[in-house]
Amino acid sequence: MTDTLLQFRTVTKRFISGDSSLIILEGIDFGLEEGSSVAITGKSGCGKSTFLNIAGALDRPSEGSVLFKGKDLGGMGDRELSRFRNRHVGFVFQSHILLEDFSALENVCVPAMIRGAMRKEVTARATELLDRVGLAQRLHHKPGKLSGGERQRVAICRALMNSPDLIIADEPTGSLDEDSSDAIENLLFDLVKEEGRTLLMVTHDMELASRCSTVYLLHNRSLQGIS
Amino acid sequence: MKIPFSLFLVGRLLSVRFQSRYDRMRLLRSALLISLVMIPLVLALIFMDGMMDGITEKYITLQDGHIQIEFPERLDERIHFSDSSILSADYVVSGFGIVYSREATAEVRIKGIGEDYFNERRSSQLSFQGSALQKEGAVASVMLSTTVASQLGVQIGDRVAFMIVPDSSSAVVRPVLANVKALYDSGYHELDSSLIFMDIESALRYFPKEKNARTEILVHEGTLSDLASVVTQIESANGTGTLSYATWDEFNGTVYRNFVTSRQVILLVFLMILLVAGVYVGSIAQEMIQDSLQSIALYKTMGATTLSLFLAFLTAVMTVTLLGMTVGVGIGLGIGSQLAVVLSWLAKTGLPGLQYYLLDFPVVISWRPILTICATMLVICSVTVQFSLHRIRKISPLELLQQD
Repeated sequence: MTDTLLQFRTVTKRFISGDSSLIILEGIDFGLEEGSSVAITGKSGCGKSTFLNIAGALDRPSEGSVLFKGKDLGGMGDRELSRFRNRHVGFVFQSHILLEDFSALENVCVPAMIRGAMRKEVTARATELLDRVGLAQRLHHKPGKLSGGERQRVAICRALMNSPDLIIADEPTGSLDEDSSDAIENLLFDLVKEEGRTLLMVTHDMELASRCSTVYLLHNRSLQGIS
Repeated sequence: MKIPFSLFLVGRLLSVRFQSRYDRMRLLRSALLISLVMIPLVLALIFMDGMMDGITEKYITLQDGHIQIEFPERLDERIHFSDSSILSADYVVSGFGIVYSREATAEVRIKGIGEDYFNERRSSQLSFQGSALQKEGAVASVMLSTTVASQLGVQIGDRVAFMIVPDSSSAVVRPVLANVKALYDSGYHELDSSLIFMDIESALRYFPKEKNARTEILVHEGTLSDLASVVTQIESANGTGTLSYATWDEFNGTVYRNFVTSRQVILLVFLMILLVAGVYVGSIAQEMIQDSLQSIALYKTMGATTLSLFLAFLTAVMTVTLLGMTVGVGIGLGIGSQLAVVLSWLAKTGLPGLQYYLLDFPVVISWRPILTICATMLVICSVTVQFSLHRIRKISPLELLQQD
């Protein structure tokens, strides 16, 4: 029997601007099992990223609650949420944002540095991850010297660095060409599987979504199961 | 080895190796500006303190002493110098008069002094030409300042006439002849233009001791804060009962108050300069944050706390401030220690405005005000930087990292 890693309980998110209020998510109930991979699809602007932000503790719901391993994230202060993100969540963004002044190796090391890990141990783990994604020869290259695909591989390694329970990916192949997309997709799914992590992904790409164990459609502010 | 993230980030923010040319120039510009602010402040402080101390010392040693005991008889011979608090005691007479030469007149303060009045401490405050003051026949001997001599157009060996200004309206005003036996130059125009010395025997003839005689005491540095106790010692040693006396800051009240006011105004100006520098450092911090918005958002996403980022940026900016300050103070002290050369050159230029300044004083570096300025600079900068860094709290990873 698998445990529920992340649970949304009637989550509503609304943005208030002046007198008007815009509801993005409404009464969403959602459960993410440990070791599973879930894709959320939907049209642009339907609230997919908002959903991910709440799942990754970057944002708080307006109503309802989010539980991680049974613990309510709403009760955590900013400091606790930062610690939670550092230990339990790895993010992969569409625009493969890296620290431009840092080498590939240093970029991967940062989450562990924030955690306060030993330097030697951090470097070994980051080197191993980059080696696994085929960047062993590019450890000391700055992001400016890397291709889009290489940058995204560095971003995936960074997301896995602290061995988080949950990998959150927001359109991970959205800004890559077809060849690079295929390579990154394979890499992401392989690594998540090898490391035994849980994947929560947002994508427009139905083919990519279909590789996940469960696919949801975010439509009219609520989730609908597709497969 | 564990390296705290804040420290790691400070290293990255400050390390020349990891930065773009623009970032390097920004840090250099910031440190340079702080240095350029600190150099004149330290120099001004050394100049101000040195000049005020120098002027005060000249007034004390040449005009008034630390304590003036108003007692008509000679006390100086009865004071025991074995008491280490007293440096010298001199019986003097003083009054006011107008001095005449063939060409000009000058209003002066005439001070009657004994032969041994110019001890080592007093001699160090002026330069002499001529011979010691001694009464020769019926004619008084005087020592003019080079300033008054130049104003009157007289030299050593010439004669001048005095019109003694009496203390009471009933006294007769009479002219007196005097030989110019010596000239002195204290280096301070304001003092030189009003003070002349006369042999005490002659001076006692023109200025009755009952009203004009006093004993002038110089004390050692350590006793300055407790001059009353020196007077008490003299009273008990001589059995004179309670003596009437005044201290240097009382009889030069205007000069003393001017110094205090000048110092306060100058420190206020310093504070304004430091505030402007602090605002500039704050703007540098703001610029650093603006250029690091995406990095900060990324750090936050990866779990860095606002506090750790705040501390990292604060430490980086304050390190640059401290570095600039240290360099500035170092250069300021370096130039300050050579101030005598600069002042000597300034004195030789003969610029009219400089005559009201003392341009010959020992350069003394007072660490306390310098450290106070540094501490104030650090406090102001840390406050302005903290204001700028509050923006870190508002940086949201959601807006900067995601595209929907």
